Amino acid sequence: MNEYDGRVRLVFKDLPLPSHALARPAAEAARCAGALGRYWPYHDRLFAAQPAFERDDLIRYAVETGLPREPFTRCLAERRFASAVEADVAQARALGVRSTPTFLINGRPFVGAQPVENFRAAIDDALRAAR
Amino acid sequence: MVNRVRVTPTRWSRVYTFWTTCLLAVLLVLAGGAVVAGRARAQAPPESGADPGMIRGPASAPVTIVEFSDYQ
Repeated sequence: MNEYDGRVRLVFKDLPLPSHALARPAAEAARCAGALGRYWPYHDRLFAAQPAFERDDLIRYAVETGLPREPFTRCLAERRFASAVEADVAQARALGVRSTPTFLINGRPFVGAQPVENFRAAIDDALRAAR
Repeated sequence: MVNRVRVTPTRWSRVYTFWTTCLLAVLLVLAGGAVVAGRARAQAPPESGADPGMIRGPASAPVTIVEFSDYQ
């Protein structure tokens, strides 16, 4: 993102796979963090902490990233963002996205965690095409 | 002798017909709207509906990367 400052926008969407039982609560927790103004720090914390996503872990990460415990815990318990996560899952299904991570670079699918050089090449292609 | 029976709509049947017609018209309009909305959704870009807090970078960026991912 820093390398392409101002020329690339990243939109994160949740696609918790059914085989990853703790991915959905983690996605909902990240949105709770977002509602409290700390989405990206919490998001990064979750990726660093994979796959320890039990409820107590999620709350501990929230406190560690500077979130207030009580409102975060309440948001998580109420599953306030369950439908928002489900909306992303439905959209992925409609787009034919079935595995994670899947990237759509100006709409072109780029599937799987690939070497950074491949990303750079795909982004450069998209920038050239956008001119 | 043939009895001719003339059926004239009662006030209630006229009212009933009027409101049924109105209801059908409203349902048709709603159904049409749902079809249009469904098409619009099908054509919507993948970044549509994203939570603004889950976006990095300017809206004017020439390249948009939509990442579908899970944390586990």
